[in-house]
Amino acid sequence: MSDLAVGQALPTGAPPVPDRPLVARSWLAGVVLRTVGQISARVGLVWIGTIAFCAVFAPLLASSYPILLRVDNKWSSPLAAHLTAVDWTLLAAVPVVGVLLLLKSLSFARRFGIFLSITLALLTILLLTLDPKRTNVYDQFRALDTTGRVQSIWRTPIPYSPSDRLRDQFDAARPHPWAPSRDHWMGTEINGGDILSNMIHGCRIAMSVGFISTGIALVIGIFVGAMMGYFAGVVDLVGMRLVEIFSAIPRIYLLLAFVAFYDRNIYIIMAIIGVTGWVGDARFVRAEFLKLRNLDFVHAAIAAGLPLRSVLFRHILPNALAPLLVSASFGVAGAILAESTLSFLGLGLIDEPSWGRLLDQARAGGGGFHWWLATFPGIAIFLTVLAYNLIGESLRDALDPKLSGGQ
Amino acid sequence: MLSYILRRILLLFPTLIGITMVVFFVMALSPGRVTDSLQASEANMRPEERQRIEAYLKKRYGLGDPLVVQYGRWLNRVSPVGFKEAGEGFPRSTTIGFKTPDLGESFIRRRPVLDIILEALPVTLLLNLITIPIVYVVSITSGIWAARKRGQAFDVTSGVVLLALYSMPEIWIGVMVLGFFASRDYLQWFPTSGTHDVLAAQMAFLPVFVDGVFHRGWLLDAVWHLILPIIVMTYGSFAFMSKLMRSSVLENLTADYARTARAKGLTEHVVLFRHVLSNSVLPLITVAASILPGLLGGAVIVESIFGLNGMGKLMLEAIKTKDQELILSQTFVVGIIGLGSLIVADICYAIADPRVSYE
Repeated sequence: MSDLAVGQALPTGAPPVPDRPLVARSWLAGVVLRTVGQISARVGLVWIGTIAFCAVFAPLLASSYPILLRVDNKWSSPLAAHLTAVDWTLLAAVPVVGVLLLLKSLSFARRFGIFLSITLALLTILLLTLDPKRTNVYDQFRALDTTGRVQSIWRTPIPYSPSDRLRDQFDAARPHPWAPSRDHWMGTEINGGDILSNMIHGCRIAMSVGFISTGIALVIGIFVGAMMGYFAGVVDLVGMRLVEIFSAIPRIYLLLAFVAFYDRNIYIIMAIIGVTGWVGDARFVRAEFLKLRNLDFVHAAIAAGLPLRSVLFRHILPNALAPLLVSASFGVAGAILAESTLSFLGLGLIDEPSWGRLLDQARAGGGGFHWWLATFPGIAIFLTVLAYNLIGESLRDALDPKLSGGQ
Repeated sequence: MLSYILRRILLLFPTLIGITMVVFFVMALSPGRVTDSLQASEANMRPEERQRIEAYLKKRYGLGDPLVVQYGRWLNRVSPVGFKEAGEGFPRSTTIGFKTPDLGESFIRRRPVLDIILEALPVTLLLNLITIPIVYVVSITSGIWAARKRGQAFDVTSGVVLLALYSMPEIWIGVMVLGFFASRDYLQWFPTSGTHDVLAAQMAFLPVFVDGVFHRGWLLDAVWHLILPIIVMTYGSFAFMSKLMRSSVLENLTADYARTARAKGLTEHVVLFRHVLSNSVLPLITVAASILPGLLGGAVIVESIFGLNGMGKLMLEAIKTKDQELILSQTFVVGIIGLGSLIVADICYAIADPRVSYE
């Protein structure tokens, strides 16, 4: 992987131009750069960046707890006391990424490895040591604010947690859901939670389900595809039957059958979305491996006595990665769609903010309709799926030798 | 080609067995195992009812047998060919022959699963049979137009619009369309649920005027109920197919035979519709296999939003009532339909394109 890193300067024969030094890039890096150069891919990346920002800083953007509070000359931070290990790890990951981006001497793969080990270590330590307050009395600070004892208070931009059901503002004459107003920019859901806050916290599920289940699908797809493509013959015949099985049963039926028989938590949901989504990746990898398996460099690797694992994944796979990027990009879109569909059908996560679950509440009993519960979460799902599809399309165009202008 | 078709049909059997294995082991390896989970949903019922179910489960799955034996037993029951009498223990009878597949019994609904599925299947198939021609006609037309106007406004806009349509989740569009065009809060142009009016059975088939009053009749009533669901089912499939059609037409327009046709002095119109078109449609045949499972899946969402009593809605209800026999059989049946469409598309392609060689 290390020889595929972006931006490694190599000595070239031609005299270097002072302003723009000649940089020899790997083919894959060229593809990535050409992709980012396209407007549609940039639009997609900007939106995904926004979602990622909301996902990482969700508790700082929307919470019922004030960030800082001064009561009776004592400073406190109710928000910090309620942050979980995951919240802290995500916040700590931001400076780590910043520092690693500056360390340009290290290869991309190494920096990614360092990032992964630091965050995982941090998460484990925090999960073992941290014990955030479990009891949530959301309205205590709104009540405190009215007593006049508060000397200074610094709230988050949206002062409501996603599960804050506004018990103190109960009004029998005005049942939830409320239409958008100045207090609740996107209205409230049927239990009284603020929708904007739910949307911000829902970014986390969308991002994590998207990436992790695509990762699972990629691992299965690469393994099965590599086996089929490299060994061909009987292995291919058997493998293709497996692919056929999973493409004959519609994905949603598989998802529903899994959900019906297994417990529902976020890890199981991620796993089943991954397990049902690898078929496309396997086809791509198989096609590439079939093409590459008889090339000279593969024979050379085998002749050098390298173990099979090395031949398959160190020598052939890097050459087959580019089409996988396209497939992975569409895969993330599909995974996000699958999660929101499950939540929409009432079979997703329970009591977690999810875009699909909000969308489900738009249909009121007796044929009524709450437009704000359909519009905002729907647009969020749409834009996220569109962003990944745009990036996938741009990647595909960048890979197409007919369109790349002979590079 | 005949040998190819034969080979393709023979390869169908391992896949079919694979589908049954996936379906069976999803249930068998779940935390509750086969029988536990089947019994758990029946916790509170009369003792004699409970005994009957236990006897049924014992006969059908063989409580306490190894999983492989349980699977063999279940497979024998659901297959149309097999041991005719499956008694206690592993079937010892040697009479092998055709029989009606036994998909089990739904305890929640107290009816054979096969009957329930045969009631729901036509609705889903109807939705798909209307959807597929619409998808093909629209995407072939827009694909041809985009290819003819390559790089011009229509090509670029249709590309962007279709990608956007493709990215719009069905759950969102379904809810929006239902909310704005069928809810009592906004325009009430269409009915909110069902495939027919309650009084549809008494209607004449075609629209009629009786004493100057318009009666829409059975056919128009069905169309009126199905317009919104069909819109939601079709729009997402346009992008993929039309893009495929566009690139296929572009490729064929620059092919040698198209140049020969032009050299003969044929007009561009004749070249396109006589020569290029039939060759360009070929890739769309193979795609039919992959869109049918997609459409069957889309039907789950559409049926649940618009309250149509098809396979999708049945599946959701089965999950909510934990009717496990029904869930299994439905996954199984839908898998068979998907597999069938895969095979049919492969064979159609082999017939339509004689150039393809099959070793």
